[in-house]
Amino acid sequence: METSQHMLRTGRRGTLFEFSMALRDLVTSYHRRGLAWSLAWHDVVSRYRGSILGPFWITISMGLMVLGIGLLYAKLFGISVAEFMPYVAMGIVFFGLMSGTINEGCDTFVQASSMLSQTSLPMFTFIWRTVLRNLINLAHHAVIIIAVIVVFGLWRVMDVLPAIGGLLLTVVNLAWISMLVAIASARFRDIPQFVMSVMQFAIFMTPVFWKPDAFPDRHAFLTLNPFYHMLTTIRAPLLGQEADGLSYVVLAIMAVLGWALTFSVFAITRRRIVHFL
Amino acid sequence: MTDVSIKVTDLTLRFPVYGVDAKSLKKNLARVTVGGRLGSSQTGATEVTALSHLNLNLRAGDRLGLIGHNGSGKTTLLRALSGAYEPDEGQIEVRGRIAALLDLSLGIDPSATGVDNIRLRGRIAGMSSKEIEDKMDEIAEFSGLGPFLAMPMKTYSAGMQARLAFAVATAVEADVLLMDEWISVGDADFQKLAHRRLLNLVERAGILVLSSHDAGLLRLYCNKVMRLESGVASEVKDIRRLDELLAAA
Repeated sequence: METSQHMLRTGRRGTLFEFSMALRDLVTSYHRRGLAWSLAWHDVVSRYRGSILGPFWITISMGLMVLGIGLLYAKLFGISVAEFMPYVAMGIVFFGLMSGTINEGCDTFVQASSMLSQTSLPMFTFIWRTVLRNLINLAHHAVIIIAVIVVFGLWRVMDVLPAIGGLLLTVVNLAWISMLVAIASARFRDIPQFVMSVMQFAIFMTPVFWKPDAFPDRHAFLTLNPFYHMLTTIRAPLLGQEADGLSYVVLAIMAVLGWALTFSVFAITRRRIVHFL
Repeated sequence: MTDVSIKVTDLTLRFPVYGVDAKSLKKNLARVTVGGRLGSSQTGATEVTALSHLNLNLRAGDRLGLIGHNGSGKTTLLRALSGAYEPDEGQIEVRGRIAALLDLSLGIDPSATGVDNIRLRGRIAGMSSKEIEDKMDEIAEFSGLGPFLAMPMKTYSAGMQARLAFAVATAVEADVLLMDEWISVGDADFQKLAHRRLLNLVERAGILVLSSHDAGLLRLYCNKVMRLESGVASEVKDIRRLDELLAAA
């Protein structure tokens, strides 16, 4: 175990050693989780310094979008507002968490380059910083969710526990995606643009603004979209429906495989990341 | 902590230089498609050897001055000692809590107040929130910034920034202090304060590694000196033989 009292750095000693060093980075970041939290909190505070509403500005813009799309599409598609508005509200807010965590993941290491090049802080700390920052933002946007739950009486039918389970599974998956794009973006400066395009594409391909009723259950169009699984496991229980068990299974498998891949990539590139920057 | 020490064995550090082009994905993809023919010039990255087979042993009470031309590897060595750069070969072992004062602007948010920046920098340096609050008065007093601490950092001069950074960094109960030249930024008052604080640190059986071009500064703080030239280190010599090392240039 590395403590602040003793630091040991050595040259490469084989793959197993690299993995154990990567694991040590992870463990140290856990011991210093308070730092990740402080950095994330500071990010939010400093981004909105001098602004009265702060992060709630994004909440307001999201709220407007929810109102507009909720009313307009309900009319266009001939669905009742009471059914469609909460659906869109949750779609936009939770998709915001996904695209935020992944898009900002691209900047994680690039932004931290000065700290990485002169301290021995664990690299995982900066991943947690990005994830926590987006969770803090989500906490602000939760106002919208609470509003639709109260206004449309969803509290009578919603099932909170499975939604929290879905949120946890989603965050675990977002974290590895965020880390993978962080490493890739440090090395290749085209990646952030690419990721942004993919996320923009994803928001239309995922049932955020539209209902997948036109598709038969488990249509490949949906089951092959990881964001569909993330969204549906959080949203369906809150709307008083049951998410397909398959989605939980997909997310669990994705989390295991994704972390295995990301951790391996990290173990191999860890020494080099600071030089990429 | 009585066994404060720095032990560097056969340290070699290489920097891969990823050309601007090599950072683009297209170039890399293109390389895959024509891979077979390009053969051995595959890796693309040129490597610069920043430090080569460096050995160094320091014990409590050692105050080492690093000299050498620009680009000779002084800062790289300091960064390696701080744990940021991983050795390509060899080993670095540091016992004791490290405080690195390499960059004044580390973790500084220009639009946040001095107090907020003390908190942030303290957290980065490894202090807990409680430790920081406990030491806040002391740090504030030492920085000598008074009412300016409530002002955003962007209103500070370089010297004022240096005061704040130095105050926070040395507030950590550090055993090993790594410093780049910038200590010379502050005014005479600050220099005097900083001097006392540094001597205090060394008296607490710490280690100081200071990189500088200023012979006077080195004589003031250091008792040992080492010269780096293109990443190759000289022997560690007594500070009284500084002129010899400088003359070897």
